[in-house]
Amino acid sequence: MIQSHDPRMNRLGLPDAPAPAVAKEALDQFGTYEVFHQKKEGAPFVYVGPVHAPEADVAFLFAKEQFSRRFACTGLWVVPTAAITLTDYVGDTESAYDTLPLLAKSSAAPAPDSRYTDDTAGEEAAYAAGEEDYDIFHLKKRGKAHQHVGKVRASSPADALQVAKAVFGEQRPVVNVWAARSADILRSDDEDRDIWTTTPEKKYRDAISYKVQDRIEKFKAENQ
Amino acid sequence: MDPKLDLLYRLADDQLILGHRNSEWNGLGPILEEDIAFSSMAQDKLGHSLALYTLLHELGEAEPDTVAFTRNAPQFHCCQLVELPIGEYDFSLTRHFLFDHAELLRFEALATSSYEPLAQVARKLRGELKYHALHANTWMKRLGTATEEAIERMQNALNFTLPYALGIFEKTEAEAEIISSGLFIGEDELRSRWLESITKVLSQTALEVPDILALTPVAGGRYGQHTEHLQPLLDEMAEVFRLDPTADW
Repeated sequence: MIQSHDPRMNRLGLPDAPAPAVAKEALDQFGTYEVFHQKKEGAPFVYVGPVHAPEADVAFLFAKEQFSRRFACTGLWVVPTAAITLTDYVGDTESAYDTLPLLAKSSAAPAPDSRYTDDTAGEEAAYAAGEEDYDIFHLKKRGKAHQHVGKVRASSPADALQVAKAVFGEQRPVVNVWAARSADILRSDDEDRDIWTTTPEKKYRDAISYKVQDRIEKFKAENQ
Repeated sequence: MDPKLDLLYRLADDQLILGHRNSEWNGLGPILEEDIAFSSMAQDKLGHSLALYTLLHELGEAEPDTVAFTRNAPQFHCCQLVELPIGEYDFSLTRHFLFDHAELLRFEALATSSYEPLAQVARKLRGELKYHALHANTWMKRLGTATEEAIERMQNALNFTLPYALGIFEKTEAEAEIISSGLFIGEDELRSRWLESITKVLSQTALEVPDILALTPVAGGRYGQHTEHLQPLLDEMAEVFRLDPTADW
């Protein structure tokens, strides 16, 4: 049995050598979910990273402690990785929207379209015809994080990117664009914001709160 | 014992001991993300115990570290539920579910306690407990409706844990005064809210819920009667502290 200085390990009664690996079925893994957080009320949601989870509700549980256990947070979104459609990546001075296939003139400049106007009746008709809301995220610079820029209504993910180009395409630089169907995003409720109330006070979770260097120097000075 | 001290010791000791128990999963959890989430909540519980021991200190009791690390089992007021070894994950999750529902409801009630310092602590910390309960509910619903093995394990864990969970609500001699002075709604009222709250979640699973109030509670913890598991836990938890109780950390 493995003998450890950690009594918890000894209680497990682990054999000295690990058991031989058991062959696993393909895809015996959880899927991934992408996580976005909001640092303060009114701020845009920003991408923070992925979690593995069997379902969105579990992904939310994990994301909360994975990505918002330190520092202030007022909201969290999780979305299945597979539900995100993205453009190609381009250089830091270009626009990813320029990589989208050009549309035929008639559809690139649609006649009065409720997507760009306050046409409520047109909106209802569009939803009835199968259009849906998509959330759009921009990456402004490689190495930074995708940030929510707004919603568009579209008939498919590819269409969502085209509509986003019409609505947000003037913004530059845009190194990469993500579109996610709004219905695929699990969002924290505003009324549950209090789950983060105390997070900024948990200084003990930050290495910087432990004045180790001071103590080391004090110890050295006393023992010279 | 003074009703305030009586109530605070029970609350603080529950949080300290369960926080320490749950921290034993750190590094051993079923998957990385769950390991981090469960450890994080264990850390929250230690934080809750600190807030409550600090209130006790303000009422004239010893320093929080002294109270936490120098008493022996018979001086602890925790219920026996929290001191049981972590067992397998089915048990630890079930204990977490049963305990945290009671704790969330307790803190919600304490938010309007006549003892304002405690009410403040409760209002501040109940958001954390809301997440703890959400975590517990999500797993309970998922595993309680999953495979045959999962359902059987959760059912066995539930059957084993429920009598201990009823020990949470064991009353002390101060109970009548605690209620009449407006400190707290009392254990019977809390138990009835808890029953409603856990039943709501369990009814969404394939788990069978026995007639809970007909079960015999495992009591005694509030009076210092503990299982054989508490003293070894205390020895392990305080091992480093006791090497040099005056050390400056």
